[in-house]
Amino acid sequence: MKNILKYISVLVAVLLLASCDDYLDVNTDPNNPTEVSPDLVLATAQKMTAEVLSYSDVQGKRYATLANVLMRNWSQADGYNWYPDEFRYNVTSSFFDRVFEDSYYEPLKNYTVLVNLEDTKYDYYKAIAMIMRSFHFQLLVDTYGDIPYTEATLRGENATPVYDDAQTIYEDLIVQLTAAIDVINNAEIPVAVGIDDVMFGGDMDQWKAFANTVKLRILTRQMSMSGRAAYITAEFGVIAAEGSGYITDNAAINPGYSQQAGKVNPFYMEAGFDEGGTVTMTNNATCASDHVINYLTTTGDPRIDFIYEEPTDGHLGVVQGLLDYDTPTPDAFVFDKVSNLGPGILKGHTQDLVIYSLAEVYFNLAEAAQNTYVSGNAKDFYEMGIQASFDYLGAGDATAYYGQAINNVAWSSSTPLEAIITQKWIATNSITAEQAWFDYSRTGFPSNLPVSLTATTADIPVRLMYPASEISANGANVPTQPNVFTTKIFWGN
Amino acid sequence: MKKLTIFLAFLLFVGFSVQAQMQISGTITEDGLSIPGVSVAVKDNPTIGTSTDMDGKFNLTVPSTTEVLVISFVGMKTQEVVIGGRSVIDVQMEADVLQMDEVIVTAIGIKREKREITYQTQKVIDSELTKVAPTRAASALAGKVAGLQINVQDNGVNPNSQILLRGTRSITSNNEALIVIDGSIATSAAFDDLNPNDIAGLSVLKGATAAALYGSQAGNGAILVTTKTGSGADKFTVGINSSYTMEQVAYMPDFQDQYGTGWEGAYDPIENTNWGPRFDGQIRQVGPTMPEGYVLETQMIPYAPADNNLLNFFETGNNLTNTIYMTGSTEDSKFYVSFGDQRANGIVQDDTYERNTFRINASKKIGKIELAINASYLTDKTDVVGDDIGDQDRPLYWFLLNQSTNVPLSEYSDWSNPESYGYADNYYNAYYQNPYWAIGTNRNMDETNRIVGNFSLSYDILENLNFTGRASVNDSWGTGKNWRASQTYDPVLQSAAGVVNSFVEDYEFQKSIYTVDALFSANFDFYDSFTLKTIIGGSSYSESLRESGYRADNLSIPDFYDLSNGTGSVTGALINDAMVDGHEKRTFGFYGDFTLGYNNYLFLNFSGRNDWTSTLDKDNRSYFYPSVGLSFVATDAFEILKSGDILTFAKVMASNSTVYNDLMWYQISERYSQEVGFPYGGVNGFDLDNTAVDSEISKEKLNTTEFGASLGFLSGKLFLDFAWYKTVTTDLITRTTPSIASGALRYLTNIGELEGTGMELTISGTVLKTKDFRWDVNLNYASSETVVNEIYEGLEEIAVFTTGQYGIYAVVGEAFPQIKANVYARDPQGRIIVDAASGNPTTEDGLANLGKTTPDYIVGLGTVLSYKGFSVSGTVDYRTGHVYYEEGSDAMEFTGRSQASVSANRQDFVIPNSVIETSPGVFVENTNIQISGGRQSYWTDAYNDVKENYVKDASAIKVRELSLNYELPKSILSKTPFKKVIVGFIARNPWTWLPEENRFSDPEFNNQTSRGGNSISSNTIGVGGYLASPPTKSYGFSLNIEF
Repeated sequence: MKNILKYISVLVAVLLLASCDDYLDVNTDPNNPTEVSPDLVLATAQKMTAEVLSYSDVQGKRYATLANVLMRNWSQADGYNWYPDEFRYNVTSSFFDRVFEDSYYEPLKNYTVLVNLEDTKYDYYKAIAMIMRSFHFQLLVDTYGDIPYTEATLRGENATPVYDDAQTIYEDLIVQLTAAIDVINNAEIPVAVGIDDVMFGGDMDQWKAFANTVKLRILTRQMSMSGRAAYITAEFGVIAAEGSGYITDNAAINPGYSQQAGKVNPFYMEAGFDEGGTVTMTNNATCASDHVINYLTTTGDPRIDFIYEEPTDGHLGVVQGLLDYDTPTPDAFVFDKVSNLGPGILKGHTQDLVIYSLAEVYFNLAEAAQNTYVSGNAKDFYEMGIQASFDYLGAGDATAYYGQAINNVAWSSSTPLEAIITQKWIATNSITAEQAWFDYSRTGFPSNLPVSLTATTADIPVRLMYPASEISANGANVPTQPNVFTTKIFWGN
Repeated sequence: MKKLTIFLAFLLFVGFSVQAQMQISGTITEDGLSIPGVSVAVKDNPTIGTSTDMDGKFNLTVPSTTEVLVISFVGMKTQEVVIGGRSVIDVQMEADVLQMDEVIVTAIGIKREKREITYQTQKVIDSELTKVAPTRAASALAGKVAGLQINVQDNGVNPNSQILLRGTRSITSNNEALIVIDGSIATSAAFDDLNPNDIAGLSVLKGATAAALYGSQAGNGAILVTTKTGSGADKFTVGINSSYTMEQVAYMPDFQDQYGTGWEGAYDPIENTNWGPRFDGQIRQVGPTMPEGYVLETQMIPYAPADNNLLNFFETGNNLTNTIYMTGSTEDSKFYVSFGDQRANGIVQDDTYERNTFRINASKKIGKIELAINASYLTDKTDVVGDDIGDQDRPLYWFLLNQSTNVPLSEYSDWSNPESYGYADNYYNAYYQNPYWAIGTNRNMDETNRIVGNFSLSYDILENLNFTGRASVNDSWGTGKNWRASQTYDPVLQSAAGVVNSFVEDYEFQKSIYTVDALFSANFDFYDSFTLKTIIGGSSYSESLRESGYRADNLSIPDFYDLSNGTGSVTGALINDAMVDGHEKRTFGFYGDFTLGYNNYLFLNFSGRNDWTSTLDKDNRSYFYPSVGLSFVATDAFEILKSGDILTFAKVMASNSTVYNDLMWYQISERYSQEVGFPYGGVNGFDLDNTAVDSEISKEKLNTTEFGASLGFLSGKLFLDFAWYKTVTTDLITRTTPSIASGALRYLTNIGELEGTGMELTISGTVLKTKDFRWDVNLNYASSETVVNEIYEGLEEIAVFTTGQYGIYAVVGEAFPQIKANVYARDPQGRIIVDAASGNPTTEDGLANLGKTTPDYIVGLGTVLSYKGFSVSGTVDYRTGHVYYEEGSDAMEFTGRSQASVSANRQDFVIPNSVIETSPGVFVENTNIQISGGRQSYWTDAYNDVKENYVKDASAIKVRELSLNYELPKSILSKTPFKKVIVGFIARNPWTWLPEENRFSDPEFNNQTSRGGNSISSNTIGVGGYLASPPTKSYGFSLNIEF
C-alpha cells in the first residue's frame, strides 16, 4: 500500500508539472480578431447597406426585386420562372423575409457597434452610424410598420426585443438625426473619417446634409396624414435653422467596386454582367412590363432607352404574370426580343450604388414646397427632379420632355401631388424603387397600374408580413400578422 | 518462411530466456469439436502461454517447474489443469453458461469481468464485422447493436456515416459517439480510415456512465475499437482477404411518364421542364434548330417516354479490395502486419477512389514490462465530379432532375465531340447543361494521409500494482483541388444558355490530435469476501488544425488549373470565404475508479474525474464529475434461483453518472471576420460575428441514470440483455435562434433542459445445434426519445436549420429533432381552406410541427446458419416512427417530373374535401371552385409552397447484409499449401422496403450534416434528397486464404 501511494504521488507530481497553467492558454483565435478599429466596421456596414437595397450574394433578392416587380417596372422573359411569388403577390412570412433579417443582422448590427463606441474620439463614426441607423429604421417602418427599435440590436442582452409603435419610432428617428448632427458639431479632437467612409469619404458637412435629407424623407412620408402639419412645420424649421441643407448629389455607396469575383457592384453583378463580362440569368430573365413600356412611350419619355435596352425590333414589355408566352406567336417574348435593363441603369462593374437619389430629394422638396413647408417653387423642384433623373440616366436635357403638355409630365398640365409621385416612380425605376412603392401605398399614384395576371387580389400589397423567424424566435412580441393588402403603414391612413 | 518470422520477431523486440524447459502439447475440444484460439497459459506466470490453432491443437514450452496450466476461452468455463508429468494434455471445455467471466474492455482500456460492470455494453467481433467485406467499418455496424444508429449519409465512393448512440442529447452541439482506437481517443474520420480487416473487435459503451472516464467527449457514449494484435501460437500466418463487389442504383425516385418537355402545356424543344402536352408518340424536334449545312441535322425524336432515361445515366460501380496480412505470436511477443488496397469506381462515370492502408501492431513482454505499438498509415485519392456545376453552381443530381422525360439522356454521352448532340452547342436543354459534360468539366480531387498510432507500456510494479502509460497520435493532412472549366456557346444555337465561368480552388489541411494517458491500477483482497479494484490516472488531449483554401476565378488559360491562372484577386475558399483557418484545443484530467466487490456477486463502483479545459473562462475551466454504480449477480447470491434449469444466471445493475461538456475553441468570445469582397483596393472591412455570445457562458451538464439486467436461460442457449436509461441535459450549450432584430442570427448560451429516455433489449441464442448444423439468432430492439423540457423564458423553439418554409427545430414539449414546415390552413374538421378567388389552398401563418426525425424504435435482426463448411448470414433492420424532408422531390416539382403533378391530368380541379371561409370561422364545403394553373403554375407555385407535401414517412426495412460462405474442409486443404480457404458470395443493402408515400430516396441520406463539428447544422438530421446520388446496392464475392 505504501509503495502504491509512493508511485501514485510521483504520477500526480509529474502530471501537475506538465499541466502548468499556460498549457491551457491557447484559446485565442489566430484568424479572427475580437477587436477591430471603427474604420473597418464602417466600410463593412455601408457595403451591407448597399446589398440590402439591391442584391446580396446569399439568396439574392432584396429591396430592388421586391419593389421593381411590385411597381411594374420589371416583368419576366419567356423561359424563366424568376418571379412567380412576386407576380402572385404571394406575401407569406417567408416572402422577402431577408429584407427584415438582413437589415438587422448586417448593416444595423455593425452600425450599432459604432454607436456603442465609448471613446469620444470616435464621435464622427458614432454620428455617421446614428444617421445610417435612422436611414435603415425608416425603411423597415415603411415596409413593416411596428418593428423592434428601442430594444433592437442589443445582441445577447435582449434576444426577444419588443415591437415599438411605428409613428413613435418615426418621431425618434428625427430626434436621433438631430442628435447626430449635434455629435458632429460638438466633437472634440475627433479621429477623422477617411476613405473607409465609402459614401462621403469622411466629409462631415455632407453627413450633416444627409442627416437633413433623411429627415426630409421621413417628413415627406407623413404629409398625407391629417393633424401632422404643425409637427412637420416645426421639424422643417429645425432643418432650416441647422443650416447644412440637403445633399446636392446622389447619395451612393462605392467601397471600390471592381471587375473581379466578389467585388462587382451587387446590382450590376446580379442584374447585369458578372466579373467575366457574362450576361447574368437575372438580366436575361428580367425585362420591362408592357405597362411601363406603354407609359414611357405614350408620354414621349426619352428615358425609355436608358432604363431599358431596346431590342432590334423595338421596345417590348411583357404582361406581369403571363403564363402562356407562345400564343399567338411562339417565342415572341424570349429574352432577346424583350426590353431588358438598359445602359442608364447598368453602367458598369464599378458603378456607384445609389441609396437616395438626387431626383428624389427634389421631388420630396417639391412636395414640401407644394405644402408650404419649405420655401421655393414646387414646379422648380419638380423640374429639377426630372432633370436629375435624366442626368443620372445619361438622357440629356429634360426641358423638351417636361415641356410636353401631358398629364404628369408638364407641371402645368398636372395635379401637383400626382405628377410629383408619378415622376418619382419613373426616376426611381431600377434605382430605389422601394420609395415609389411606399408612396404608391400612401398616395395611390401612379394611377391605373394593372395587376399581375396571376394575382388574386385587386391591388398590390402595402406591406410585408413579419418573417417566420420572428414568429418562431420572438413570438411573444411580434404583432399579429396584418392584412398586407389593406392595413397600411400609419402614414398611409 | 521461418527466417522471415525470426527476422520480424527480431525487428520488433528481441527476448531471450534460458531455463530448464519442457514441451507440452494437446487438443482442446468442446462436444467433440476442436476449438481454435483457446488460451493456454502457465498459472504462475501467465506471460508464458499460447493459443490453439485451427485444429484446436497447442504446443507450449514451459519451465520444468510448471505445475498448473490455465485454459480459457470466451464463452467457456476457465479450467485449471494439473500437468502431473504429462506431455500430452487433451482438455474438454465446457460452455460457460453464465458468460459472467467474459472480459469486457471498458473505458481507458480497463478490462473487467462482465459481472462487475454496472452498465450495458455490447461487443462486436471481427467475423461479424467483415462478413460482407464492407469498405467502412461503421456501415457494418448497422442493425447489430441495440441503441446504435448508423446513418449512412451518402453513397459516394468515400461515404460518410453518422454514428449516434441512444439518440440525441444536445440541440446544437455534437451528438456523435466518441471513437477510441486501441485505447486512445480518435475521431470518426480515423474510424472510417481503418481497414475493416484490421479490426479485431469493437466494444460499444452505450451511455455516458460507461464512457465517463474519457471525460467531456464521452457524453455521447463511445465505440472502442481494438485492432488485431497477433495470434497463431508459435506459427507464422500469411493471409489474404479479397473482395470484389459491383454497385448498382437500387431504385430511382418515382417519376411521372405521361408528359414531356414544355412550358405551360405547350411543347418546347429546348425546355428542361416537363410541362408540355401529354405524350402522343409524334416525332418532334428537340434542341436547337440547326442551320442549313451544319454538321448535324435538327434532332427529331418521338414524343414518348424514354424508359429509364435517368437510371441509365448511372453505371455499375465496382470495388476491389485486397488485404495481405501476416501475423504470429510467441510466448512473449505478438505481431500483426497488413497492407490493404482498395480501388473503387463509382456509379457516376469517372468517379474513382483509391486507398492504401498499412498497419504494424506488435507487442513484446520482457519480465514485468510489456511494450506495444499499434500504428497505421493511410493514403487515399478521390476524384469525383464537382458539386458547383454550371452557371447556377448546382450538384450533379440537379442536372438529372432537370431532364425531359422524353429525352434518352444516355445518347448524349459524347459531349466533347462537336458533331454530337451531347456537345454544348448542340445539346437539347437550353437551361441546364449536359450531365455528361458536367462529369468532364467539373472535378473535385483530393489526396489525404493519416497516421494513427500509439505506443504503450505496461509495468507490473508489484503483484497487485500495474502502471500503464500510453501516448498516441492521430495526424491527418492532405491537399485538394476543385476545378470547373468555362463554357461559352454559339449565340445562335444556344441563345438562352448561361455562360459558365471557370474557377480553381486549392486546399490544404493538417490536423493533429495527441493524447497521453497514464494510470495505476491496484487490486486488493481483504477479509476473504471483499475485493477492491482501484484505478488512478490522468490524461491529456490536444488538438490542432490548420487549413487553407484559395480560389481563382475566370482562368486565362483553358484547362490549366492553378491559382496563378485567375483573373482578379485570389479569394478564400473555406467556410465564410476565409483563406486560412485553424484552431487549437487542449484539455487534461485526473480520474479515479474504485470497484468494491463482495463475494464476487455484489459490486459497488465509484468513479470521478476532474477536467481542465482551454476553451472555458480561466476562472471556470476546472470541473469535477462523479458516477456511481451497482451490480448484483443474483444467481450467485441465491443459488436457488438456478433450480429448475430455466434461469442459469441473472444480473441486475443500476448506475448514475454526470458528465460536463465544455465549449469548442474560441467560442467564448465574439469575433470579427473579414467581410466578403474586402479588401476593395485600400479599403478593408470586418464584420462582427453573427453569433452573439453570453458573457457568462459555461459548461453543460449531462446526467444519466441507467438500470439494466442480463439474464441467461436454458443452460446458455438463450441470453437476454436489457437496459433502461434516462439522460437529462441541463444548461445546454446551445446556439439558440434569437430574434434576428437583436442583431444576431445565433445566441450562444446555456439554456434549458433536454430529457432523453430509452430502452434496449437484446435477445440472442442458439436456436438449433447439432454436430454439423448450427443456427444462431440475435435480435435487438432499441427505443429512444428526446424531449425538449424547456428552453428559456419567452423562447419556445430553436431553429437548428431552416429555410423559412421548413426546417429542423427544437420545440418545447416536443420530441427533438422536430421537422417544422408550412402547412395547409384547415378548418376545425381538418378540411383544407381554399382561397375563394383562386381555388388554391391557403397556408397557416407560421410553421407547424410535423414529427421527429429519429425513429421511435429500431429493430435489428442478425442470424447465422451453418452446416459443415457452409454458412449463411444476414442482417436486417427496421426503423420507424419518424419522418424526413424530401428536398429532392421538392426540387422535382419545378421540373414537372413528380407523380403529384400528373395526379389530376394537368387539369384544374376542385381540391377534395376543401372548404371556403365565407366569414370568419364559417366554413362552407367547396364543391365548385377549382384551383388555377393546373397545367403548371398550381404545381410549381401553390402546391410547391406547401412544404408539408414533402415531409415523408422515414420508415424503412433494410436488408443490410447477406452472405453465403463456404470454408474448404481440412481434408482437401491438407493436400494444398493453404491452411484456410473461405469463399463467399456477399451482398450489401440488397433489399429495401419503403412506405408507399416515400418513393424518392433513402431516408438516411442527409443533405445538411457536416461531420464532427459544432456547426449549427450538424444536428440537421432528417433533411435529405437530391445532393446525393440515388441509393445503391452491392453484391460480389469475397475470398479469405491463409497459408
